[in-house]
Amino acid sequence: MNGAQAMVECLKAEGVTKIFGIPGVAIAPFYEALYENPEITHILVRQEQAAGHAASGYARITRKPAVCVTSSGPGATNLITALATANADSIPLIAITGQVDSSLLGHDVFQEADMRGSTESFVKYSYLVRNANDIPRIFKEAFHVASTGRMGPVLIDIPCDVQRMELSKAFRYPEEVKMRGYKPSVMGNGQQLAKVTAAINRAKKPLICAGGGVILGNGEEVVRRFCEKHQIPLVSTMMGIGTIAKSHPLYFGMLGNNGKPYANKAVSNADLLMIVGARVADRAVPKPEKLERRLNVIHIDIDSAEIGKMLGPTIPLVGDIRHIFDALLEADIHTDTKEWLQELEEFKHTTVDHRVFSDKKVNPMTLVQTLSEKMDEDAVYVADVGQNQLWSADNYVMKSGRFLTTGGMGTMGYSIPAAIGAKMAEPSRQVVAVCGDGAFQMSMFELATIAVNQVAVKILVLRNEYLGLVREHQEKVYQGHYFGVQLHAFPHFDKLAEAYDMAYFHADSNEGLEEKLDRFLSCPKAAIMVCDIDSANNTK
Amino acid sequence: MKGIFSVLVENKDGVLSQIAGLFARRGYNIDSLAVGETDKHDISSMTIVSTADQRTIDQIEKHLNKKLDVIKVRRLDEAKSVSLEMMLIKVSYTAQTRSSLIELCSVMGAKIMHISAKSIMIEIHNTPDVIGEFLDLLKSFGILEVQRTGTISMAKG
Repeated sequence: MNGAQAMVECLKAEGVTKIFGIPGVAIAPFYEALYENPEITHILVRQEQAAGHAASGYARITRKPAVCVTSSGPGATNLITALATANADSIPLIAITGQVDSSLLGHDVFQEADMRGSTESFVKYSYLVRNANDIPRIFKEAFHVASTGRMGPVLIDIPCDVQRMELSKAFRYPEEVKMRGYKPSVMGNGQQLAKVTAAINRAKKPLICAGGGVILGNGEEVVRRFCEKHQIPLVSTMMGIGTIAKSHPLYFGMLGNNGKPYANKAVSNADLLMIVGARVADRAVPKPEKLERRLNVIHIDIDSAEIGKMLGPTIPLVGDIRHIFDALLEADIHTDTKEWLQELEEFKHTTVDHRVFSDKKVNPMTLVQTLSEKMDEDAVYVADVGQNQLWSADNYVMKSGRFLTTGGMGTMGYSIPAAIGAKMAEPSRQVVAVCGDGAFQMSMFELATIAVNQVAVKILVLRNEYLGLVREHQEKVYQGHYFGVQLHAFPHFDKLAEAYDMAYFHADSNEGLEEKLDRFLSCPKAAIMVCDIDSANNTK
Repeated sequence: MKGIFSVLVENKDGVLSQIAGLFARRGYNIDSLAVGETDKHDISSMTIVSTADQRTIDQIEKHLNKKLDVIKVRRLDEAKSVSLEMMLIKVSYTAQTRSSLIELCSVMGAKIMHISAKSIMIEIHNTPDVIGEFLDLLKSFGILEVQRTGTISMAKG
């Protein structure tokens, strides 16, 4: 057995059935081994970045590490943005990159790029494989590292000659991982748990802020149960959307710069904030120092380095969300939040949203609300980046589905490949990518992947003919000096849809929108729906 | 404040650059970094000294711990550990300054390693503070070249 065959055996041992990638000479032995193994389906994307984003969508739905593959040099460097995105959003990926022959490493030969060096700050861990006999151990470790602790991408860079090298011993996939430097804390510290319990018991106005870590740690249910048991209200970050249904009486919206004013008011008026699986990044909490002066904070995270990075917490608690909340559900907690909940309800109904959306063309707020209400209960909504993302996060009606977006890195063009990955993970689930016309054009080459593989995703394009969020910034900060942001009326989306055998829908006003959305969503094949938006519409 | 970290790491390629990269990327200051193999050939020991505020020092410790090739991080208390550094220094001398230079070396416990017609090479190992003071004292003689190893530290007991 050679190294390439061993790589395939490792993937099979991990239960991998689909991988996303683009081949090249430096990864050709691995593709030869895939040729011999029909158990693994290879999805040929059209640019390597999309392989990474598709794997991200796939991983987020299967809740397991997903695999993307590229060749060396430019193929591998094209993947870096997707790795950075997965790293910022803590998505478990295994990135396999081909590399030039070991003997040529460091000689600047054709298509050589130092992948370990160039991805150092964008991956959780990386390997340069020197010996084919190490492949089983390295793959076992890589899957373990990617999917435990704070999840993230792991890079395996593998020279072409190592893929061809014969293993000198029989292939055996290890059962266990031995890494002396890697032992993520899972169980919360007992003393800290007691402090958390006491703080909750002292609080009159407790509030939970749920981040993406709740969903990554499969903690939605246990957090919801905890909120319900003790009647503790919850707000979420953008990545935490999906923790709890929008209609849930204890849910008070997304906080932050782009969030609901009443969610921010809830944070301002709370006396205890439990931050769960969130980074306290600038968009969610613009001035953490103000927060820490005013109220008690409990910060629960799997990654101890997140605690105290932006904000000095009163009580840090490191561990796996399910273990911690299982323990908290058992803890002796007594809360009386009736008055606090009444106060929050009042905020919710009296806080005036001063934003006015133009009904010229399609109203983006109505669009997102109507779309997400019409979507299946468990549908996957993939929001891109830009105004479309903020309108989506603000107006998405969460039922029991998933809301996928890149809140950490904010990579434009994420939604289409991520939707492909999500749909391939669960073909029976409805998947809708929502993007602007700018983001669409950063990934429109993936329409070919959709067409060839008959991936029945729906792509909804909010077309305002601008890079809208930058336009909005130029309007507010640079006195309306719009520069470099106008996209004009291209491409002709109807012709693109035709070119890729997709159904096409178009709405230029609110009139008939519902009926068009119905047809768009129920269409059995992949479809593009373009909704014209007045460029004067801003997010704030 | 000063943070002294004694860090055990996997002795393999790329680890030093990972650690140095962590400090560079997150804007942490490195006062000194000394690294060498331990009695186990697959483990290296690093002493990293950094000056920053309390929160940053805490963050450095957490981020070091987060690195998968880091086996163990110990934060050393200056008072409860021994810190040593070695310095080689070349100083110019004249007939008038020679004897006072030799006297200073003897008082400070420094060793003269080489003498040429115009310069003396001195070796000293001591705490980083004493080395700093010695360096200051030598300034008036005319320093030609300095090489410091960086601090190595070990907890007492």
